[in-house]
Amino acid sequence: MDIIQLSWWQLGIGFLSLILPAIILWWYKTGLNKKLAVATLRMTVQLLFVGYYLEYLFELDNAWVNLAWIMVMVVVADFATIDRSELNRTWSLIIPIFGATFFGIILIDLFFLELVIRLPQFLQAQYAIPVTGMVLGNCLRSNVIGINDFYYSLKENRERYHFYLAAGATRQEALYPFYQRALKRSANPTIATMATIGLVSLPGMMTGQILSGSSPMTAIMYQIMIMLAIFSGTILSVFLAINWSNRFVFSDTDKLDKRILKD
Amino acid sequence: MNTELFLFRRVSFQYGEEIILDNFSLEIERGDVIAFKGESGSGKTTILKLLLGFEQPDSGEIRYKEEPMNAETVKQLRRESAWLPQDLNLGSGRVLDVIKFPLEFRNNNSQQFEKSKAESMLHELGLEPSVLEKNFRDLSTGQRQRIGLTICLLLDRPILFLDEPTSALDEESVSRVKEVLRKRDDRTVISTSHDPAWLEYCNRIIEIETKYQNQNR
Repeated sequence: MDIIQLSWWQLGIGFLSLILPAIILWWYKTGLNKKLAVATLRMTVQLLFVGYYLEYLFELDNAWVNLAWIMVMVVVADFATIDRSELNRTWSLIIPIFGATFFGIILIDLFFLELVIRLPQFLQAQYAIPVTGMVLGNCLRSNVIGINDFYYSLKENRERYHFYLAAGATRQEALYPFYQRALKRSANPTIATMATIGLVSLPGMMTGQILSGSSPMTAIMYQIMIMLAIFSGTILSVFLAINWSNRFVFSDTDKLDKRILKD
Repeated sequence: MNTELFLFRRVSFQYGEEIILDNFSLEIERGDVIAFKGESGSGKTTILKLLLGFEQPDSGEIRYKEEPMNAETVKQLRRESAWLPQDLNLGSGRVLDVIKFPLEFRNNNSQQFEKSKAESMLHELGLEPSVLEKNFRDLSTGQRQRIGLTICLLLDRPILFLDEPTSALDEESVSRVKEVLRKRDDRTVISTSHDPAWLEYCNRIIEIETKYQNQNR
């Protein structure tokens, strides 16, 4: 199957599809038109930048450079996790969340890229970068839900935590119900997606692969693999992010450092 | 034998800008049944939290069994105590599992959970054994308070910290609670309350001044 290459002119025509929705948003005075313009511009510039960069990365295809790029992605995801959650940027969160996300991603990458797909070349850019990007995007979303839920439910249910501690619990024992809740909340969206995938919507990656000429069966196999990678990666990184940050945000008498919380 | 269990020596504690305790001194002896009495916000609960290491004093010293409070003594104390907060929410789950959970902590391995023991404790506190099958979330505040107390009593600790233990209980339940607690007379009970029925049970009542008076002292 041949790919129909998009020209800049054709892509330009695509932008015309925004005219009608923009008129609707303007007519109902939603105040979103300026935001829409900025978002469209940002999307285009960011993706163009990434596109040029990836072309260069693919051409170079050096495992170390790819690993460095993965680290950059994780650092950006790390700050985005903290900023999107209701937590403050403190080193006691930035470092453990970075460590947890990086470790989770690398473990998943090594497993799927090297053991399952068996890349001919270690961390080959064409596979490593998109797979990492997809897993990382989902880790980010789950980490925001999980870490936020963990620390805020701990703040709201302080009495429960204290009750267990005073009854002789170790810190990890007293935190058990909070882990349970945070893990449930962050795992649920991915489980729900897995349960309805293919019925409600065709996933983006699969669509992309089919559009670029893969057979639907190949695309589906990759899609199943990526869903497994996403689920395992997110649970691993949420668990590790909570567990590792736990080591830095409690006093030696198990008191939570409130500076990590925003209010 | 020295009977000193806890000692506050010129303890001050501030919450943000608010002075909660100012130069507070007190000795608590083994076997004391104490109630801290005072207006809400006067710092009664803070005293309990300072003792359990949930809060740290800004200045002054707290001692447990003549040892200064630090991470080690706090851990030791928490193996010898139980604390009942005023509004206890132990999440959603079968009451039986909610009661079992703290009894299965590594430090509590000596306290084997026995359902029959739990049932008779619940009975003494005026709760039917069928409550064990209910969801904790669906219980009233008074029932939750008594479930919390059941856990504290099953742990069978020599020191109990009770924050307004009768605030959601009717008269009959209060007398049941007192009756159950009287069964073990070597226990130290440190509580906060303004309930006359509860204060009558305590052998020491300590009035805590409001923060404004503390500030002016």
